[in-house]
Amino acid sequence: MSHLDSVAQVNQWRTKSLIEKSILALGMVVLVLALSPFPTAVMVFIVMVTATLWGAKVPVRLWLTGIAAPLGFLAAGIVPVAFDSPALALGIAMRSIASVSCLVFLAMTTPATDVVRGLRRIGLPSEVSDIALLVYRLLFLFADTASAMNSAQAARLGTVGARRRLNSLGLLLANLLPRAFARAHRMEVGLMARGWHGEMRVLSPSYPVSWPGLVAVLVVEFGVAVIGVVGS
Amino acid sequence: MSLLDVRGLTHMYLGGVTALDGIDLTIKRGVRLAIVGANGAGKTTLLLHLNGTLKPSGGEILMEGRAVGYKSTDLQAWRKRVGLVLQDADDQLFAATVAEDVSFGPLNLGLSDDQARQRVRDALEALGIADLADRPTHMLSFGQKKRVAIAGAFAMQPEIILMDEPTAGLDYQGTCALLAAMKTLEAAGTTLVFTTHDVDMAYGFAHEVAVFDHGKVLAQGEVGEIFRDQSVIDKAGLSIPLTLEIGLKAQSLGLLSATDALPRNRAELLAMLENVQP
Repeated sequence: MSHLDSVAQVNQWRTKSLIEKSILALGMVVLVLALSPFPTAVMVFIVMVTATLWGAKVPVRLWLTGIAAPLGFLAAGIVPVAFDSPALALGIAMRSIASVSCLVFLAMTTPATDVVRGLRRIGLPSEVSDIALLVYRLLFLFADTASAMNSAQAARLGTVGARRRLNSLGLLLANLLPRAFARAHRMEVGLMARGWHGEMRVLSPSYPVSWPGLVAVLVVEFGVAVIGVVGS
Repeated sequence: MSLLDVRGLTHMYLGGVTALDGIDLTIKRGVRLAIVGANGAGKTTLLLHLNGTLKPSGGEILMEGRAVGYKSTDLQAWRKRVGLVLQDADDQLFAATVAEDVSFGPLNLGLSDDQARQRVRDALEALGIADLADRPTHMLSFGQKKRVAIAGAFAMQPEIILMDEPTAGLDYQGTCALLAAMKTLEAAGTTLVFTTHDVDMAYGFAHEVAVFDHGKVLAQGEVGEIFRDQSVIDKAGLSIPLTLEIGLKAQSLGLLSATDALPRNRAELLAMLENVQP
């Protein structure tokens, strides 16, 4: 998770507007779902891989690990379909892979916090977005704590053998919960000390829409749509 | 002159454990106050009282001579004047990036975005971390997190900043950078109050010290006087600061006259040795 977050923070398209990136990614998903898989899905996949690896300069290995997990689920789900209708299975597979490439693009070029802020701007209640942002922050803290606890357990041979590993994992999770509550309480003190009274407002960096960029996105999507309609 | 006065403050935790036991303490404008004591002496509990996070079981707190209130509007005005930095910076950093996090306090004060942006810039500049502005908060080192947490409090331009163990766990360079930054905050008009169990740091940096032991303040006063009081130091389970001990020894050996100033820090100690005639 932290690798995914890191690349989202430092990739070449970090400062491109969320609007451009999300219209590119979600627009492509719509095309993939609306038009026939060949040639649309193939085209979309090529465009999104190009955008991710060449445009945003996401490292190839990281991209492969990012796309591997959803493809694993896809493989597991597609096998039964393939027994019934290989053609249908192929279509589903192509659509899924193309859609996944769109979402991986968004996940690897845009930090989760940018996405939440974007949702807030289009009407997500601030209570929900505040909680989402806090959870996001706490995830990293708890991942750190859990990994430190796991190292401490391993250092005292708590991870040797499946039975002991399971036992250690249980202890770890049981310990994480009270810690979570204690930390939540201390965090509240910290927020109160800084004048918090119910709303989490911070100065967010804004990345304005570049009109040439937005036009380019729309042109590419229109092109894919035309080829998709004509080619099928 | 006194900005914040604590009179007979008592705090009982649930279950009847007395954390603070009739404390008197005075915070004067522009006087760096170190609150020293062993672990568990009640230092952190006191800090939480000084910005109204905890409500005393007995006694009172006066701000410029007037007793403070505990209504939410009182607390808001109080915390505007008295900032707090917790020991674990992770307990108060919550936003995605450094600049966003520091902007949280100023926006809570009701400042405009432009004013808040200026406050953020000034605070990061004062703490020497302007280059970290766009860094995600979870990708900072321990020392950087500490300075960001302090910047978050300083950006609200409080009259007092309370810091819980600001130098605990910092390496030598981190400590030097932090103390230098604290001096910058002081130059901007902020009164510094901090807890520590590092008597050498307290002696070298603070003007006044309050010695804590088992929920009581044993003594408060000028660092040179208090740290010389062996009975207070022993009772609190502390040690005499090394530079002070060497200075006193030099005096008793006749290397320093009784009227000479005693060395406060490493540099002054070395300068003293240079001047001693063999």
